[in-house]
Formats: sequence, C-alpha cells, structure tokens
Amino acid sequence: MNKTITTITVALCAALAAACASKAPAPSASSGDKSTFVVGYSQSNNAEPYRAQLNLQLQHYLKKYPDIELLPIADARQSSATQVSQVQNFITQKVDALIVSPTEPAPLTAAVEQACAAKIPVIVLDRTVNTDCYTAFIGGDNVLIGKKAGEEALRLLPDGGNVVELRGIMSNQPQIDRDKGFREAIAANPTIKIIADREAKWLKEQATPIMQQWLAQHEKIDLVYGHNDPMALGAYLAAKAAGKADSIKFIGIDGLAIPDGGIRAVQLGQLSATFIYPTGAQEAAETVNKILHGQPVEKQQVLGTTQVTKDNAAELYKQYDLSGQN
Amino acid sequence: MTAVRTPPPVKARGENRMRRTLSALGAAQAYIGLVLILAVGIATKGEIFLNETNLTNAVGAFASRGILAVGVTLVILTGGIDLSVGSLLGIASMTAAMMLARFSLEPWQIVPICMVVGAFFGFLNGAGTTWLRIQSFVMTLAMLSVVRGLDRQVSDNVSVGTQIAGPDGKLTPQAEAFQVFGTPGHNLFDRIYYPVLAFIVVCIVFHLILTKTRFGRHVYAVGGNPTAARLSGVNVTAVTIAVFTLSGMLAGFAGPIDAAYSASADPQAGQSYELDAIAAAVIGGASLAGGKGTIAGTFVGALILTLLDNVLGLNAVSDNWQLVIKGLIVVVAVVLQRPDLFTFLRGGSRS
Repeated sequence: MNKTITTITVALCAALAAACASKAPAPSASSGDKSTFVVGYSQSNNAEPYRAQLNLQLQHYLKKYPDIELLPIADARQSSATQVSQVQNFITQKVDALIVSPTEPAPLTAAVEQACAAKIPVIVLDRTVNTDCYTAFIGGDNVLIGKKAGEEALRLLPDGGNVVELRGIMSNQPQIDRDKGFREAIAANPTIKIIADREAKWLKEQATPIMQQWLAQHEKIDLVYGHNDPMALGAYLAAKAAGKADSIKFIGIDGLAIPDGGIRAVQLGQLSATFIYPTGAQEAAETVNKILHGQPVEKQQVLGTTQVTKDNAAELYKQYDLSGQN
Repeated sequence: MTAVRTPPPVKARGENRMRRTLSALGAAQAYIGLVLILAVGIATKGEIFLNETNLTNAVGAFASRGILAVGVTLVILTGGIDLSVGSLLGIASMTAAMMLARFSLEPWQIVPICMVVGAFFGFLNGAGTTWLRIQSFVMTLAMLSVVRGLDRQVSDNVSVGTQIAGPDGKLTPQAEAFQVFGTPGHNLFDRIYYPVLAFIVVCIVFHLILTKTRFGRHVYAVGGNPTAARLSGVNVTAVTIAVFTLSGMLAGFAGPIDAAYSASADPQAGQSYELDAIAAAVIGGASLAGGKGTIAGTFVGALILTLLDNVLGLNAVSDNWQLVIKGLIVVVAVVLQRPDLFTFLRGGSRS
C-alpha cells in the first residue's frame, strides 16, 4: 500500500515537473542571441467573452512575427492579488516584454513599476495604472463610446422619451465612463429622461429580472441602454416576453464578432445599435514588435469605436471574426 | 446561570399550555418571513406586485437556484455541504447549449444528458467525501474550481447562444422547442412557465422521498448521528454518495433552465449560486450541523429570497441597500427559526 502511494507521488511530481518545464521555455537562454523574443501577457479574466476575443486576436496577430514567442496567457481570474504575482513571475522569468490588462489600477501599479525597474518594457492594455513608468498604453475610450451611444439615443428619440440604464459593476472604470459619456450626450435633449438605472453586473441573467420589474413599474419605456450587449439582450428577452420589444429601442456596447455577440444581435434587429469596444490586440502586437526591435512607439494610443448598424453589421462581423483562423 | 433552577410545580400546567401554544407558533415560524414580505409587497406596490406575471417572473428568475437549493438541502441534512452546485449548473447549462448548437438534439434528449453530467460530478463529490475521507467542504470547494475550469475550457470562454437560426432565418425546430425551458415569454401549453413548474415538482418529489421512504429516514439518521446510524444498520457511505449524486443530478437538471432563461450559456453562469442555494436552505430552517431541515422549508426560503429581491426592486431600493437588507434578512430568518426562540423571549434561557 505504502509503495503504491510512493509510486503515485513520484509519478505526480514527475508529471508536474514536466508540465512546468514545457510551460517555461527558458527565456533567459534565448535572450543571449536575441534571435527570438519572449513576451508575457497577464490577462485580468479569461472568462469574459470580450477578453477571450482579445486573447484570440493577440495570439493571431503575434503569429505574424515569427521571432516573437508569446508565453501561455496568464489568467488572473479577476483577482488583483493573483495578477500581481503573475506579473512578478514574468519579471522573474526575465521576459523581453510584458503586456498587462490590469484588473484594477491601484494594485497593479506597484507590479508595473517593478517590471519597469527590471528594465522590462510594459504595454498596458485596456485599463490604466497609476504610474507613468510604462512604455505604451493602448485602450479604448469609454467616455467617447458612452457619448456615441447617447448621440444614438438622441437620434432614436427625437421627441424625447424614457430611458432605462443597465449598469456594469458599479466600481468598474468602464461602467463609470460609459455612464458619464451617455449622460453628457443626452443632456442635449432635456425631454429624454433616465427614469431608472440599476447594476446588472455585466450579466445577461441579471438584466432580465431587472427589466421585468421595470416593465411592471413603468408605463412607458422607450429605450434601454446597456453598458454591454449581454445586458441589453437580457432586457430584450424580458421586453419580448411582455410583448413590448417592438416599441422599445435597445443600445448595447462591445460588438463582439461571435455567434452570441452584439453584431449578430444588430443584424437580427434585436439591438438598434452597438458600439465596438476595440480589443487593441492588433495595435498591441504591432507595438510590441516595434519595442523589441528598438523602434519608437507612441506612448498613449487611444482607440476609436465603430458604430454597428444593420447596414454594416455583416461586413464588420466578417472583418472581426477570427474563428477558424487560429 | 450557576444557580440551579427548580421549576415551580404549581405553574406546571400553565406552562405546559404555554409551551404548546408556543410550539404551534414555532411551526408557523418558517412562514413569518414570507408573510411579512408578501405584506410589504402588497402594501407598497399592490397590483403591480400581486399579479400572476410579476410573481411568475420573480419565481422563474430564482427557479434554477431553487432546484440547486433542494439538492444542497439533501447534503446539508446528512451533515455535509455542497459548494460545487453553481459550477455544476454552469457546466450543465453549457452542455445543454452545446448539445443544441452542435448536434441539434431534441430537448427531451438534452435534459437526461445534462442530468448524467451533473450526477457524474456529484458522484465524484460523494466518492471523495466517503472513500478518500475528504471533508465535504473541501471536496466540493475543489470540485467548484475543477468544474468551472472544465466549463471554461470546453466553451473557449465564449458564451453559446440557444436561439439557433436555420438556413431560412427562422429558429430551428429544436431551438424553438428548447425555449420552453425558460426563455421569458415561452410557456408550456401557452400557460405554464416551465422553470416554476419544474421547481415545484422537484420540491414535491424530494419532499416525498425524504418523508415517505426508507432512504429519506436514513438521510436524517446519518445527519443526526452517523455512528448511531451505522450501528443500526444504515449504510452511511451509500447514503452519503447518494445525496451528493442527487445534488449533482439536480444541478444538471437545472442547467437547461439556466441556458434557456438567458437564451445563452455563459461560461460564468451559476457563479456564486451555491451561496443563494445554501441561503435558501438555511432560511428554510436547515441546520448546517445536519439532521434538521425540510424541503418545504427550503421552498419557503427560496420564495423569501426571490420575493424580497422583487419587492426591493419594484420599490427602487438602491442596489447597495439591497445587499445590506438581504444579509440582514438571513440573520433574522435564522433567529426566527430557533425552536427555543419563544423560551428565550420569555426570559427563560437554557444554558
């Protein structure tokens, strides 16, 4: 019995060691000749469709540079503490460049500074950190996207109307910015009123019951603004069930090119419009290549957005769809 | 409490009657919370609250978690805990959506497959707790993580929609039929909302199993005193494995409901549902020490949680205060459940 346990333990240890060895292709060895570069990427949470898309795109675009090797993407699973230790691991492994999508600005600031102190170039992707000590920031402008969504609301409701707003997690910066931009834009028409807003935590299944309650409370809802597409679509399901989907407009944000995403929903007429929140993957791949080859890069790269309408949806879907390409 | 209290014999008869009244009140204790919430709902919102659509919506939104709560109650009755049900619901939800999207299976084929998937992981929970003697808290916590990882792996972290259109742009017949599992606005026979029906049926079936069968008595016996149960001939190992498997199976059964409700299976679906399920069981009077609790109680606990959410939402209470109030309600409900509550209120504390 004891022998069996020992054997199993030894086998497990061997398997673990093998797994670790295959994961870390000794970047220090390759750094001598610099014929290949090793890049580490710390992602805040793989399980959000938007970030899954980002990962896919980053892998896709980095393949264009044969001398750049991307280590397996580290998933912080929404925990800042995990992410800090992952960034520190990459520093220990002496990667040639580091890409970080911070979970939250404050906790990641110190880790990014550590990388900076270790002379590792850092690209901050999507969300900011509270330090200047990075090589490039690439990200979308959520205030701008909120504003565009607000302008679309102005266009859809020329005679004013009642708006309900489904918010992301209240403490998330994108939530704050998407709300701010939208409110600024609709201020142009004082007859448009936000009659209710609630936190649906970015989730479709949270948005449906909230919308059901709003439909029971309010006689007249003209437009639903969801801080992301799943929440707008969750509200759409509730309105459809109540037979009110045709009299209400739905606006979302994200515009992912996946079968279950916002672009398809616009094509199907469920959403009036959505706004592509750029992943920045292509820009990140280009920037990291430039950095590694000593070329100058722009430090602040703020990306625009594209409005998805029924007219351009099919084309945009084709452009952003990466399934089958990796 | 150091002084020895000798009950005055003169008062005995009066006290007896008092105790009988109080224990009758005690039996109704479980419903006090529900009655209060209904009263508040009717008083503040009247017709808006008390109509079929609103109540169906409210119960329907919680139905999948309610079904999880029934499974969790079984485990809690044996003195264990099942933290993995949220993840199991997630993977069953994903299984359902994938079976529909990839293989165009009929709904009646999807449900048993999901139940088998759930039961499989539930069985592993049971096997780990009994044969490997891992505490169920630890075993199911590990399973929560393992199954969530598998869920995310098979789905590539991307949600899978269930409203699948055929070449003609209309929903495929299978996708059309799948909607009846809970996509809002789709009812059985144009009348009955499936999630609500499924939740009620699951409660009735498991109430009968617990109260009318030998297995049910064994579940209570194992939770009450495992050693005594074993000595009196109860196969504790088999009962423990069975309750975990049933809990997993119920999570599997709830999977298609969750997928249909959002018309999409999210790789994050069911996250932290185990906490709602445990809360429903505990509010319903289940004791985490085992041996105490009923399915009827869990049913009421689930209703309390979802109707509370509904009433607060209809009254536009801010999200932050909703969290505070929901937490407080759990504490109040558990205190109300205490059998010695009225003794305690009367000042006669038992040390």
